[in-house]
Formats: sequence, C-alpha cells, structure tokens
Amino acid sequence: MKINNIQQTKQNNKQNFRGNIANKATKFIAQHPAAIATLAGSSVIAQKIVMSGSEAVIGPVMDVGIGKTITKISGETDGRTNESSKTQAIRTFAQSTGGTIVGVIIRALCIGASTAMIAKIGAKAGSKAATKVSELINPDKLDKAKDAFKFQDKMSSWGKSVGGAIAIGVMLVTNFIIDAPFINWINKKVTGVVDKFSGNKQENQAKEVK
Amino acid sequence: MAFNFQKIGEKILNACNPDPSKAGKTLLVLNAAGMIAAAASNTFAAAVDKNTSAEDKKFLVPAGLATGVANIGLYYAMTDKMIKSLKNSADTFVSSMEASDIAKNATELAKKTITKAETGFLGTGLFKKPKELVSSMKSTLFKDGIIDVKNITDDAIALYKNNTKAAAGVLGAFAGAVIGCAVLTPIIRDVSAYFIQKRMEKNNPDLREQPHRPYFDPTHLKINGVNKPMNMKNYMAFTQMHGNMKI
Repeated sequence: MKINNIQQTKQNNKQNFRGNIANKATKFIAQHPAAIATLAGSSVIAQKIVMSGSEAVIGPVMDVGIGKTITKISGETDGRTNESSKTQAIRTFAQSTGGTIVGVIIRALCIGASTAMIAKIGAKAGSKAATKVSELINPDKLDKAKDAFKFQDKMSSWGKSVGGAIAIGVMLVTNFIIDAPFINWINKKVTGVVDKFSGNKQENQAKEVK
Repeated sequence: MAFNFQKIGEKILNACNPDPSKAGKTLLVLNAAGMIAAAASNTFAAAVDKNTSAEDKKFLVPAGLATGVANIGLYYAMTDKMIKSLKNSADTFVSSMEASDIAKNATELAKKTITKAETGFLGTGLFKKPKELVSSMKSTLFKDGIIDVKNITDDAIALYKNNTKAAAGVLGAFAGAVIGCAVLTPIIRDVSAYFIQKRMEKNNPDLREQPHRPYFDPTHLKINGVNKPMNMKNYMAFTQMHGNMKI
C-alpha cells in the first residue's frame, strides 16, 4: 500500500513538473508580445539555426561523453572508442556549422521564391490547376490591394511552409555538390587546429616531466 | 498506374497548410521529412557502396535503417507531445485571462507587428508596397487606424490569441529539435556504431586493430579500396572521398 502511494506521488510529481514547465513557458509567452512576435512567424530557417547551433555546441560534448561512458561500461582497455568519439566530435561540429550555413541559404532562397510564386497564384489564378491552388491557399478570396495585411500574412505563411518543403528536395542535390566538400573543408581546418593544440599540450607536458 | 499529380500536389499543399492551429506541427513535419530524406540517402549510399561485401550489407543496411527509424521516431513522438502540451497550456492560459489584459497585450502585439512591417525587409520586401501594407495593418488591427488600446479590433484580439498558441507550438518544435538533434541523435548514432563495429569484428577479426567507426558508414573500412587503420590522418583522407548526408 505504502509502495503504491510512493509510486503515485512520484508519478504526480513528474506530471506536475512537466505541467509546471509548460505552464510557465506559455505564461511567459502570453505576457510578452515581443516573444509572440518573434516565435509565431518562425520558419524552418529559424528552426535550422536553433537546432544546428545547439548541435554545434552540445553535440561534440555529447560525442566525447558517450565515448567515455561506452569505454567505462564495456571495460575497453585500448581506448579505441574514446579515440573515435573525438574524431566524431570534430565531424559533428563541422557538419552542424557547414550544414547550417548552406541549409539557411538554400531555405531562404526557396522560401523567397515560393512566397513570390504563391502570392502571384493567390492573387490572380490563371489556369484550371492554378485556380484550384488559389482556392486552397486563399479560401477567403482576400484581395491583394484591399486586404493587403491579411493577404500578405497568409501568403508569406504559405511561402514559408511550401518553401521549406521544396528546400528538402533541393538539398538532396546540393548536399552532395555543396555541403560535402564544404563540411570536409571545415573538418580539415578544425582538425588542424585541434592537432596543433593537442601537439602543443603534449610538448608542454613533456617539458614539465623533464 | 498513372500518377495523379494534381492529387499529389493537393496532398503536399494540405500537409504544408500554415494555419496557426498547425504552427509547430508544420515545422516538426518538415524537419522529420528532412531527417527521413537524409537517413534514406545514407542507407542508399551504404547499399550501393562497392567497398562493402554483400554479406556485410545484409547487416549494415537494416542496421542503418533501424538507427534512422529509432532516431526519427523518438524525435517525432517526443516533439509532437511537447507541441501539444504547450499549445494546450497556452489555450488554457489565454482563456483564463481578463479581457482587459488580452486587449493590452493584443495592442502591444499589434504595435510590434506594424513596426516590423515598417522597418523589416524580409517580410515586406517581396510585396514591395510597405506603405499600403502598413495602412492596411492599422485599419485591420485598430478602428479608424488609430493606434490605441480602446480602438483594438476583433481581428487584433484573434491575432493575439492565435499567435500566442502558435508561438507555444513553435517553442515546442524548437525544444524538440534541440533535444532530438543535440542529445538523442548522438546517443543513438554513437551507441549503434559501437554495436555495429562489435558485430563486424566477429566476422572480420582484423578490424580489432582499428578504432571503432565513429558513425554508421560502411565505407569507413576502406580508403581507396585498401584497408587502413582509422587514425586522424586516414580519417581525413576518408572524408575527402565521402560526405555524410545532413539536411
């Protein structure tokens, strides 16, 4: 009976904790229009910057930490996992920084092009297919001049969304022709810096021993 | 069977619908789609790689797929739950707010939206008529276009309510993407790489002389068709030849 009560309390605490975080975050957002204005209109570009930016900082630390944990748990004595996790950490950093730079540019171009195209279709449908698309993206038949604000709000939202989807297709190609060599270049540079740093460190340690 | 491009197009457009009620979810779907494309390309590259034996591929390709499915599945399930929880919380909070507080915050948000249109480039640049846009904004969000809390319109109140919920959803999508990409992915990738290496060593004892492969990619085993130990120098030579997909 007691064990059941403890388990129930633990579960309630867990739910309250999650609920509290969600409530505090939404309360903050609702009371700060600046936060609403920043977040509400965010596109995949902002998501990519936030996601890869944090990956560039946290990812390498995670890689090294996981390498150490695996070495400890498996009782490995030759330190191979540790060594490869350091290499992976540099690779993670290069991938996230290189991927962000190229990804943001491609996404911005795709979103810009889609918004311009969608605004054109939404304002004046030509062919049968375009009329169907227009009905879907502009069901309220907002007028470009008369309802300028609502029309632009709607069209830029569609542009962000459709442009984000098109960018995925484009990046399947650019990934091989732009990302791969660019990431390798960053990887090489960072590896050079790390090698130089660890070389200096080893030299200093050798001097101290002497 | 012929493809019905119109239906496919409509389905894609429906999936991309930027309705404020779907904010956050659209970001999640687009990010997950990018991750699926990247994982599929990596697995495909492994499947057609000439340096890997057919026997190894029988294990490596399903292992790569399983790692991708686990990674994307966990990210999607976790982020979806976060988005729903934050949106519900925002909905409850806004419903419990006093009308005067809503009007005050809605006025602030409307002012910021107008200022953004007046000074911002990206939003208005494509439409090329910022003056018309700003005057349309003023008349939509405030009665007679006079910016004051007393003149706030129902459209401005709706904008505040919808955007608060949308912002909560976007926050959930961002938090999920950060946790998924910076925490979940390294754990799944590095741990699965360790087990894949162990399995490979069983079949090929020579591999015990090499460090563990840092991530799933069978081409790691050979550089220019020759087996080489995985030290930093050889790793650099390998990366000159192959790039891991990242979308």
